[in-house]
Parts: sequence; C-alpha cells; structure tokens
Amino acid sequence: MSRPATAAERGLASCHLCLKLASKDLHQCPRCGSALHLRKSASLQRTLALLITAVVLYLPANILPIMVTDQLGNSTESTILGGVVLLIQLDSIPIAVVIFIASVMVPLGKMLVMFYLCWSVSHGPPVSQRQRTVLYRITEFIGKWSMLDVFVVAILVALVNLGGLLVIRPGGAALAFAGVVMVTMVAAESFDPRLMWDQMEKSDE
Amino acid sequence: MSTTGELILDTESTVGESDQSASLACPSCDLVFDVSDLADGETARCSRCGHFLTRYRADELSRVMAYTVSALILLALACSFPFMEFKASGLESMTTLPQTALQLWRNGMPDLAFLVAAFIILIPAAVLILNVILVGALMTQRPYAFLPQLGRLIFTLQNWSMVEVFFIGVLVSLVKIAGMATVVLDISFWAYAAFSIVFALAVSSLDRFQCWRRIEGLSRS
Repeated sequence: MSRPATAAERGLASCHLCLKLASKDLHQCPRCGSALHLRKSASLQRTLALLITAVVLYLPANILPIMVTDQLGNSTESTILGGVVLLIQLDSIPIAVVIFIASVMVPLGKMLVMFYLCWSVSHGPPVSQRQRTVLYRITEFIGKWSMLDVFVVAILVALVNLGGLLVIRPGGAALAFAGVVMVTMVAAESFDPRLMWDQMEKSDE
Repeated sequence: MSTTGELILDTESTVGESDQSASLACPSCDLVFDVSDLADGETARCSRCGHFLTRYRADELSRVMAYTVSALILLALACSFPFMEFKASGLESMTTLPQTALQLWRNGMPDLAFLVAAFIILIPAAVLILNVILVGALMTQRPYAFLPQLGRLIFTLQNWSMVEVFFIGVLVSLVKIAGMATVVLDISFWAYAAFSIVFALAVSSLDRFQCWRRIEGLSRS
C-alpha cells in the first residue's frame, strides 16, 4: 500500500507546539522557538515516571477525607468513595454516577490505559494503531474532567458557611487528588502517539 | 471517503523547502499533508489515523476576536457579582466566584486555592488577554517581534483552563445541596454559564496551524 511519507522519513521534525516542519538537525523550532525533537524526548520514561507518581498520589487521595462537614458540633469526614456511597443512600443516583465516573473511573482508567499504551509501544505487537491512537486521544481529552470533585469541594466550602449550624471544610485528599489529575495530564502530554505508528513502519520493512 | 465540509486528504504532497509552511505532519501519526488548498470552512483530517489537522476559515480572526472580547466581558461580570446564596433555618451565606478559591485559602489550603483560582479564572483570563493582543496584531498586520512568544504562551496555557469542568462542578454541587436548604442562583452564575460556552468557542476557533501560518506570514512581510 502506498501512503504519503511521514515527516521523520523525510528528515523533518514537526514542532509539538506550532506544527512547523523543520529539519530534524535543528534543536529549536525556527518559527516559535520551542525545543524541536523528531519524537518527544524520553517519552516512555517520562510518561512511566509520571504515572508512578500519580499512583502514589492516588493513595492519599482516596484514604484521606476530601471534605469535612461540621453540623451542630458534629464533624463528619467523607472520602471520595464515601461521598459516592452517601449519594446512593440519598437516592441521588445520577449525581453518584457522575462523581463515580469523574473521580474514580476516569483517573483509574486513565492510568491503566497509559500503562497499557506504554507497554504496547515497548513490548506489544505492532497492531491496531488506529484504535490505540483513538484510545490515547480519549485519555488525553477526558483527563481534566477528573478535577470535577475538587471543584465541587471548593464550591461547597465557599457556599456552605452557616456559622455553628453547618460548615463544610476541605480535606487533604482534595490537594492529593488535584495532584493526581495534574500529573496524569502531564503524563498524557509526555506520551508520543507516533511511537505506535513507528512500530508499524518498522515491521513493514 | 469525504463528507460535506470535511476533506480527507490522501494525496502525497511534495514538500520543498519553500512551501513547507503549507504542509503539516499529523501530530498523532506523523504523515505529512499539504493543506494549502482548503476551501473556506473546510476541515482537514489525517487519512491514516483520523486525527483533526486544521480548519481553514477566511473570517477566523474576526470570529476569535468577537468570542474573546465577549468572553472577557462575561468573565469580568462573573467575578464582580454574587454567585450563589445558600439559606437554611433563617441563616444565609453567599459566595462569589473568587471566593470559591479564597475560602480554601482561609481553610488552610493556600496551594489548592491557588490551583483552583488558576484553572477557573487566572489562566482563562490570561489566555483571553493574550488572544486580544495576538489576534489584534494579526488583524492590523503589525509584525511585533514578540508574537511567537505570545503564541507559545497561548497554546501552552490553553490546555490548563478548566472552565467547563468547573461549570459542571457547580451543577453537581447544586444537586448535592439542593435537598439541605434553599439555593439562589445569582447574576454571576448565569454570567459564568455563558462564559464557559463563549470561552470554549474562542479557544476552538483559533486554529493552531492557521494561526502560526499567519504569524509566520506577518513576520516575513
């Protein structure tokens, strides 16, 4: 099958920021001045290092309370999962589903998918590039939606402030969770999807 | 393979040193495409992996400018009026948009307060203000030397704005506390709702490839 050549085959590097095509021997993009690489540098190592950081941060994010409710002198601490369980008990199933997807499934799924993609590039068979690329793009796109729970806490803390009657305070998990989201966002950005297609081109030869 | 208003490219382009500015490599799979003859409103996608490449619009700059200025006005409104009120048992509390971040600070989490403020107000505001300068310079054909740095800053910051996520967060918190007490939505709430839509339009209308081509064209002339 004949196909258009890749930039790399023509000795051109594509700038990650402004999409300029320039000779791969340059180290800086002649148009926008960003660092220029044929492929994102140390992509797999960086992505894996960031993913491991995210996994480590994910523990306090789920163990520590994400918010504390002081109601008439009683303090109730709730964790992310505890909040979901509480919502189910209160019959707010749709909200429970939204929170569960945004704060549990998306970050976990994202980390698993990124681990899988890293593995597939280094050890996996060079197949289904297109599906893997779509998987990567989805992961990249939904990343920031996990911040939802952190924002909900911020809003509730600011809004619910009725002196001795009812006060909501933020818990340590909020910061850890914001960390998980940011680190996985950078991890997704460090991964280079072109490595998957390079695999195929290598196996074609 | 092609649908209305959308062009799937699969012609081999010949990239000489001279017309490299009309070509781009797919960011997902690295195939090179010539996108110099896109018609107004046409979108180019990669023929191999389906990734969005670029969209050409003759009126791109005025579109971006219109959305950007509207978004700035809405954000200013959203920051200066009450956002929501919460009433229970004769007591009430009120919040503004900046207070969602400030209140975290007062609760001993200045780091998280800073992050929230950055994601929902500071970064979007910075992107919009920089947009006005960049698009303004492109519209009036002023080849300032700082345009490349400006463009880099805009496209880097864009990834880190979470306006739409925050707005869904507002809706989720509304449902969470609606049972506990009366919640009143104020001017800022509606302003931020409109802002989140217009901001998304402003960001998505500024096409990365076309924008950089314009910057390059301007600095050459």
